[in-house]
This record gives sequence, C-alpha cells and structure tokens, in this order.
Amino acid sequence: MAGGHGHDSHGHAETATATPPIPEGAFLAPGNTEMTWVEKLYLPEIMKGLGNTFTHLFHKTFTVDYDGTQRDDPRKFHIPREGYRGEHYLKKDEAGHVKCVACFMCAAACPAECIHIEAEAVPADWQDRERYPKRFEIDLLRCIYCGMCEEACPVDAIALSTTYNVVADQREAKVYNREKLLHRGEELGISLTKHHYRPDGIPGHVPEKKAGGH
Amino acid sequence: MAPYLWKLLPILLVFGGVLGIVPLLVFLERKICALIQDRLGPNRVGILGPDSPLEILGIKTGEKRFLGGLMQPLADAIKLIAKEDIIPPHVEKYLFEFAPFFALLPPFLAFAVIPVGAPLMIDGKEMPLVVADVGVGFLWILAVASLSAYGVALGGWASNNKYALLGGIRATAQMISYEIGLGMALLAVAMQYQSVEPVQIVKQQVEGGFLGWGVFHQPLAFLLFTICAFAENNRLPFDLPECEAELVGGYHTEYSSMKFGMFFQGEYIAMLTMGGLLATLFLGGWHYPGYAALSASDSGFVQIVAVVLSLVSFGIKTMGFVLFSMWVRWTLPRFRYDQLMNLGWKVIVPVALFNIVLTAMLNIH
Repeated sequence: MAGGHGHDSHGHAETATATPPIPEGAFLAPGNTEMTWVEKLYLPEIMKGLGNTFTHLFHKTFTVDYDGTQRDDPRKFHIPREGYRGEHYLKKDEAGHVKCVACFMCAAACPAECIHIEAEAVPADWQDRERYPKRFEIDLLRCIYCGMCEEACPVDAIALSTTYNVVADQREAKVYNREKLLHRGEELGISLTKHHYRPDGIPGHVPEKKAGGH
Repeated sequence: MAPYLWKLLPILLVFGGVLGIVPLLVFLERKICALIQDRLGPNRVGILGPDSPLEILGIKTGEKRFLGGLMQPLADAIKLIAKEDIIPPHVEKYLFEFAPFFALLPPFLAFAVIPVGAPLMIDGKEMPLVVADVGVGFLWILAVASLSAYGVALGGWASNNKYALLGGIRATAQMISYEIGLGMALLAVAMQYQSVEPVQIVKQQVEGGFLGWGVFHQPLAFLLFTICAFAENNRLPFDLPECEAELVGGYHTEYSSMKFGMFFQGEYIAMLTMGGLLATLFLGGWHYPGYAALSASDSGFVQIVAVVLSLVSFGIKTMGFVLFSMWVRWTLPRFRYDQLMNLGWKVIVPVALFNIVLTAMLNIH
C-alpha cells in the first residue's frame, strides 16, 4: 500500500498520539507523502500494481534452469572468475609423479588444520627429491577454502581449482585422499600448470592449458 | 436410466472436478509466484523425462523434460501423506484432530448449490447440473462458508500455542467484519434478481444474454464481493490468520503432515467455491455467448456440445477468479490489522448499504 504514513495521520487524527503534520518544505522520502484522494481509493493504485506484476510474467528470469550439465553456457552454468578458490587438486610433474615433496608447509599453514600428510622416502629411481607423501588427505568439511596451502607450497604442487559444486552423499566422500586429489587435477586438465618449478628452483616446462579455467 | 442416477452426474462433476483441480492450483500458485518474481519456479518433476513419476517407477522416458514441474504437487502430496503426523503433547487432542476436517469440509459443502453447467433435458424434464437445488440458495453458501472459520479458530485454540491462538482469533474477527459486507453485497444481488437461488439467478442472466450478466447490473456488488471473497478465503492482502511474517504460520503452526495438507487443501477449495459463486452471481454462471443458438438446435449431439461448453465456460470463469487471486497475492502486501478492520467496517459496509439503497431505487417495478 503506497503512502501508509498519510493514511495513519488521517486515521488517528483525533487521538493524543496523532502523527504531527508534515511541515512545509520538509524532505519527504518518495512514497512517504500525503495521499491524494485518488490514492486513498486504493483501487487505481492496486490496478497499477497488478499491471506492474503482470509485465513481470513475461520478463526474462534471473534464475536459470540449473541442472549442472550445460557447462558451456555461462547462463546455465556459473563459471567463477579466475582466482576463485574452490576444490583442491594435486599436480604431477613430467614424470607423472606427484609433485608434492612432503614438506608439510601446507599443513602448517592451514588455519583449519584439514591437511594430513604422511611422508615417506622416495623410491630409488626418483632423482629429484628425498620424500614424497604416502598419505595426503584434505578434509573438505573442515577446509575454509582460504588458499593458504596453495600460497605456502614451495613446489607449487597443491592448488585450488574453480570447481565450486563439490557435493557428496557421505561425509567420508568429502575427505579427499592423494589419488582423488591427483585425479581431480587430471580431470580438470590442469595437472600441469604454467609455473612449474623444480625443487632446485629452475623453471621448467610451461604447458598451454591455463590454470583454473574450464 | 433412472432419474436419480442422473443426479450422480453433478455430484461426480463437482467432487471430482474440485478435488482434481486442487493440485493443479498448487502448481499454478507456485509458478505464477515465481514468474512474477522473475524466477523459474517448479520445473523438475514433469510428465516425462528425468525425475518424472514414470522414471521413478523405472520406465525410461528420455532425457528431455516434458511439462516440468507439473507433477510437483504429486510429489508434495506423497511427501505430506508420508510425513510423521506430530501431535504435540500440549494440545487439546480431539479438537486438534477435528479442526482440519472442519477447514476442509465447508468449502466442499458450499459448492453443492452452485450450478456447474447448463440444464440437461431428461425425459422432457429439465435437470439443472447442481448437486442440491435448495430453496435457501446462496444463503447456504454464506452459512456453510462461515463454518470454515470454526476450523481455523478451533485449530488455533486447540494448538495451545500463542501464535496459533492469535491466528485463530484474527480469523474470527476478520470473518465477522467481512461476512457482513459479503452478505450485504449479495443482498443487493438478491434484490436485483428477486431470488436467492443460484439456479434462478443464472436462468435470468442467461435470458438476458451476455449483457444480462450480473456484473453489468451490479458492478458495485461485484467489486465488494471480490474484496470480501479475498478476506473470506484468508488470501492476501487479508491473510492475517496465517501471516507467516509475524505469527510463524498462524493457526496451522502446530500442524504437520496431512493435517496441514488438509488446511492447505481447504484454502484452495474455498478459492474455487468463491470463484464459482462469483461466476454464478456476476458472470452469468455457465452461460457463454452463443448458448441460445446451440441449445435451440434439434440435434441431440449439438445440445450435448452446448452442455459441455457450458461446463468449460463455468470452469474458465472459476479459474479466472482463482488465477486473479493468485495474481493479487503476489502483488499486494498484507494489510495491517487495524487497516483491515477500518476497511471492513468503515468502507465496505457503508458502500454495501449504499448499493442496497441504489438497487432498491433502480428496481421499483
């Protein structure tokens, strides 16, 4: 109902608690004015309102038919900006090994303490490092998606993708182990990224795929 | 066929029609609400495609959804029936159980006196398509429809919950103030047609042709009736008994499962009943332009077509009101309680009185 204020002052004019009259030249918020007699009839205003809502029947909707399959259509599937912090993944090096060197930097940096790593000495044929993670688990239920692990990692082995629709029907399924994390990276086609640092600090191979893009 | 068997026809039409259309109304309400708010609304559970009932039964129906959302009320109904029926320990048990029935039954009973189609000629006798052609006419509707306030008030009181009680009290107060306006608006209609029987009123409108429709003779009563019908049905802008913003859920706060479903169903059936009454009194009932020509035909087939079209015509008018009240619901905000009372007693009643005087002056025979 437009202009409820005006109606009030009219309705309680006799009582002691009557709203004081609006002073001349006072600032009035739109719609807070004294109602004209046409407005007091309500019906023309109601018709206006009905006309307004009727046009909305034919408006383009703001919500979309989201069924999670139309990933190419930005109107049907939300594509976050680059740098969005979503689901984690682990990267591999050219040899196909996990890049992680089990330095525990990410686990130390993690404010939610959701990263659990067990280190092990590398097999004899791995020349580039001493240790690798035997167990690498991220508890996505605890994770706050702050991205500190990605920043802390000295070998750029862990990263956050833009995948935001992480769902599971069991709590256990939200604890990602090493294989799952590696697999997610492969699935996204971003297991190798442009900043590929070797432990010795020499930049290595730069693949074509952009980081974090669908 | 014996004449009393023919009597089953209007009963089946009214009972089946009303019950069958309620789920559709639930879907329409949600869809219209969504479209007015620039949303998509229910669009998953369709007739064919993923999530459809057939698919759940194991019949593959393809990838594409057909009429998505239309089967949503079915899912809702199954959900309501399957849910736990909680009876809180602090309630007045018998009245608590009883109230939903009292909310559901009156709108059904009220529909009994509304003629839903053109009269059938059986053995040379005219049989109106109405469940009960009683002499008290629409007074029956007023009497029975006010009983539904008992369902709301009892439900609110028996819940032993302050919000529910407030909702129930509001319902009674609202019902009193608007039923007077409603009755007075209808009084003018009764004066106009010299009858309170819907069958007679429709007959007179049919004789007058399209321009004989009540809305052209009683425009003010039409307007007042429409406003009061909203209040009578507890629909926005007068849904103060429910008023989820301040009363949680009003009178049905404590209800769950199908008992809540019955209140819900009662509300939609009440809408249909009011729509039917509105159509009968003001929009020529089942009449449609061209009925006279069709019914005058010698061919039995054409006469049957005329009757079927009259059913369709009545359905369209009734649904028109229901759709209109949905449209209004998603347009107007809720009245404050004192504004509602002001409108009822200080505007509707005087205007209705004026309309009665006007009708009396214009109809001196």
